[in-house]
Amino acid sequence: MTEFKLKEARLGELVNALKGEGYRVVAPVEEEGAFVFKEVNDPGEIRLDVLRTARSIKELFFPRVEPTLSYEFEGGSVTCRSEIPESARKTAIIGCRPCDAASLTMLDKLFDWDYRDEYWFKRREATTVISVACDAPDSYCFCTSVGGSPEGTMGSDLLMKKTSDGYYLLEAVTEKGRSVLETAKDVLEPATGDEEVQVGDVPRQFDLEHVKPWLDKNFEHDYWDEISYKCLSCGVCAFVCPTCHCFDIQDEADLERGVRLKSWDSCCLPIFTLHASGHNPRATRGARYRQRVMHKFAYYVDKFGMTACVGCGRCSVSCPIDMNICTVVAGAAGQAEAST
Amino acid sequence: MSADIYEPYFMRVEEITDEAPDIRTLRLVFQDEAEGRKFDFRAGQFGLFSVFGEGESTFCIASPPTQKGYIECSFQKAGRVTRALHDLEIGDTVGFRGPYGNWFPLDEMKGKNIILIGMGIGLAPVRCVIWNCLDLRDDFRDITIMVGSREVGLLVYKREIKQWEEMSGVKLVKTVDPGGETPDWDGEVGFVPTVVEQIALSPENAVVVMCGPPIAIKFTLAALDNLGFNAEQIYTTLENKMKCGLGKCGRCNVGNVYVCKDGPVFTAAQLRSLPQEF
Repeated sequence: MTEFKLKEARLGELVNALKGEGYRVVAPVEEEGAFVFKEVNDPGEIRLDVLRTARSIKELFFPRVEPTLSYEFEGGSVTCRSEIPESARKTAIIGCRPCDAASLTMLDKLFDWDYRDEYWFKRREATTVISVACDAPDSYCFCTSVGGSPEGTMGSDLLMKKTSDGYYLLEAVTEKGRSVLETAKDVLEPATGDEEVQVGDVPRQFDLEHVKPWLDKNFEHDYWDEISYKCLSCGVCAFVCPTCHCFDIQDEADLERGVRLKSWDSCCLPIFTLHASGHNPRATRGARYRQRVMHKFAYYVDKFGMTACVGCGRCSVSCPIDMNICTVVAGAAGQAEAST
Repeated sequence: MSADIYEPYFMRVEEITDEAPDIRTLRLVFQDEAEGRKFDFRAGQFGLFSVFGEGESTFCIASPPTQKGYIECSFQKAGRVTRALHDLEIGDTVGFRGPYGNWFPLDEMKGKNIILIGMGIGLAPVRCVIWNCLDLRDDFRDITIMVGSREVGLLVYKREIKQWEEMSGVKLVKTVDPGGETPDWDGEVGFVPTVVEQIALSPENAVVVMCGPPIAIKFTLAALDNLGFNAEQIYTTLENKMKCGLGKCGRCNVGNVYVCKDGPVFTAAQLRSLPQEF
């Protein structure tokens, strides 16, 4: 429900109010020429105008590398400690886009499936997600093709929408979002109801309904080799993706101590599925890129009832050879439509 | 266990058996005896075995659930972790997470003729079922054990094969690939699928449990098919690369199936319906 609005110029005061309540505030800031989510010291650094940060907010819940275990060797014996935090730091993320927020709801399913990964959930529980509706999406955006929206609320606790007269309308989605409004009440003004919000248009690129039926029937298809011919298997698409969650577990140690690390991995890398025997079930780029598309648009739907893509466009923006997942999936949907 | 799903149990190496060049079996006991008493699993389940400082590796539990107080794993020295496991000595510490995955349907196998086929190191998961069935011998009708190996020297569990051979109520067939025999070899010479057809195994009221290299599975399935077995009465395992064992790390899937959660045990019918990506 939209009851309050915040003057753009008073964003800093909102941030300070949250800090006063003990929140660590994380927002998009510029760092070495790129935009990234970082803890904010000076609210002046916050860049709510940035459409797409280099990486998503995934890493605030599921870091690139994190220890799950640490151990020490002494006199031939090992002592070991789980690295699971007692509790995560109370955090407010300000300024992620609705697509990033939606990815959290998708990944909740995976990390809670049967075995609950508390590394993820401790941070989820301690974090409030304040997203900003997109007033100026670009041609890489395709959230509307995968069931999202530039003003979608899935995964957000509070949604901010820019108005034409220099305000943000604040819509609390969850209890956590309402407590932010409560914390910041001195900085907010009542909404009048006649504000003109600025939400951009993201044209639909494909019909999602056609995608999965085609994928289910075409595991074996020349399309996979054709589209992946130029893929370099560099894996950047997975690292910038808000929903890619495949990880590796490796030990790093010296003679005295060590850690067991959970770190991001990618199904595009040839060693991902390589057996010690040398056998590799996904030995070709075509098989690996197919896995990427299938996992997001078919297998995840079978398992968890949702597509694991939010249409943020990061993989396409970052790809060194300009592979565009939206085009690839639209191609699959197009073949489905052509054959009906 | 704690709330941390990645935290291993601490095990102690109690016994080491050299099975073949580079292949070893470790018998492990829980350092915390209370945890050991609580621990239970089913034949076919697997775990993540680790050496601190080197990493984790996935193996089936090769000992049967009917033998309490310890678990065993058999592995071939192939990569960083298996090399480190190979270098362990009695008393050393091993991490273990598990048991994970599904299991062979021992309950449904009761009252049936049981055919157990282990090829190469694939005999490890089958060995778990073999002992499980032998420990509950009266629950089953005929038990046929078939072991295959590339060559005599690579046969694993040689001592136990001898035991099974000498047991009454067990038919044991052992074979090595042509060229893999030695002058004193008293078993068959021939690939497993060929020998399966020669000895004319009967599909009548039978359940087959079969593990081995993918290529051997493929041809043995064809042989069983020729003998009239249907794909629902044959169980096998998939051995995809795994890291978490918990349905999260995204590595072991074959189509929409997570081998670590929906497997590792599948019927031949299920295997046929999966994308051929294993």
